[in-house]
Amino acid sequence: MSATTVTDLQTPIEGAIPGNKGIWAGILSEMTEFALLFGVYFIAKSHFPQEFREGPLKLSLFAGTFNTVLMISGSYFVANAVLAIRQNRQQASVRWLFLVLIAACGYLITKAFEFRWNVSHGITGDTGIFFAVYYYLTFTHIVHVVWGIIGLLWVIVRTRSGDYSPQSHEGMEAFASYWHATDLVWLVIFPLLYLLR
Amino acid sequence: MTHQKLIDLLWLLLLALTLGGALIGETAEPSLAITLIIVATMAFKGRMIVDHFMELKTANRTLRNLMRAYFYAVPLVIVLTSLFGDWLARLTTL
Repeated sequence: MSATTVTDLQTPIEGAIPGNKGIWAGILSEMTEFALLFGVYFIAKSHFPQEFREGPLKLSLFAGTFNTVLMISGSYFVANAVLAIRQNRQQASVRWLFLVLIAACGYLITKAFEFRWNVSHGITGDTGIFFAVYYYLTFTHIVHVVWGIIGLLWVIVRTRSGDYSPQSHEGMEAFASYWHATDLVWLVIFPLLYLLR
Repeated sequence: MTHQKLIDLLWLLLLALTLGGALIGETAEPSLAITLIIVATMAFKGRMIVDHFMELKTANRTLRNLMRAYFYAVPLVIVLTSLFGDWLARLTTL
């Protein structure tokens, strides 16, 4: 959505597209890609129910939960960054974006510790079908988080440069939509891998 | 309620649901009821992000319907594969 359609500086106008059509082509592709991977998960689980019943117990629930907190918080922070720029509070918007960056980097650091913890407990991609699916899903999600971080750095630079205004901040909205989508995918991955048995 | 206040409250609610879900995952024995609780929580969290963080509640109808449908379809498939896993295994056996 072009920010020129913002009416009350808080919410976009009815029927508008948040960001732009290009980012939504990417988001829908991302959601489709993960839908296919979830399909692989369901089929694998139907063939190896015992492995999928025992697998989640061997993963670090703390790491999965902490990363969920970071992803949800990142989504909240970027929503605030958009609200701030709509209210012409550029510095506040930059601060919210840096919080998104901290959450995103925290996610990657937690994942790195989790993978090291896995290896120290004898868990690799060859350990079994559940863990092969686990690594496929989580590595693919990490790739999307890294793309998001690259986009985030660009949005931070543009915001600091004063390129966004309450009337024109399509790029920030596009990034925000992408980041929310990456959060949404994690909200499915978390219960599939860590909670459901 | 302002949009700002709404997303503040939703953030706290989503964090609480995440911690609650982790507690259930840690302590509860697997059952259909537990699966339904976890899946309902996932669907609710997804819907809140789609509607309020992504701001699709009042945005383009096609995008809103597609994103909302995702969080109807995935939970439904989880429950169905939990109930009819054997059938899916037979269907996907080469």
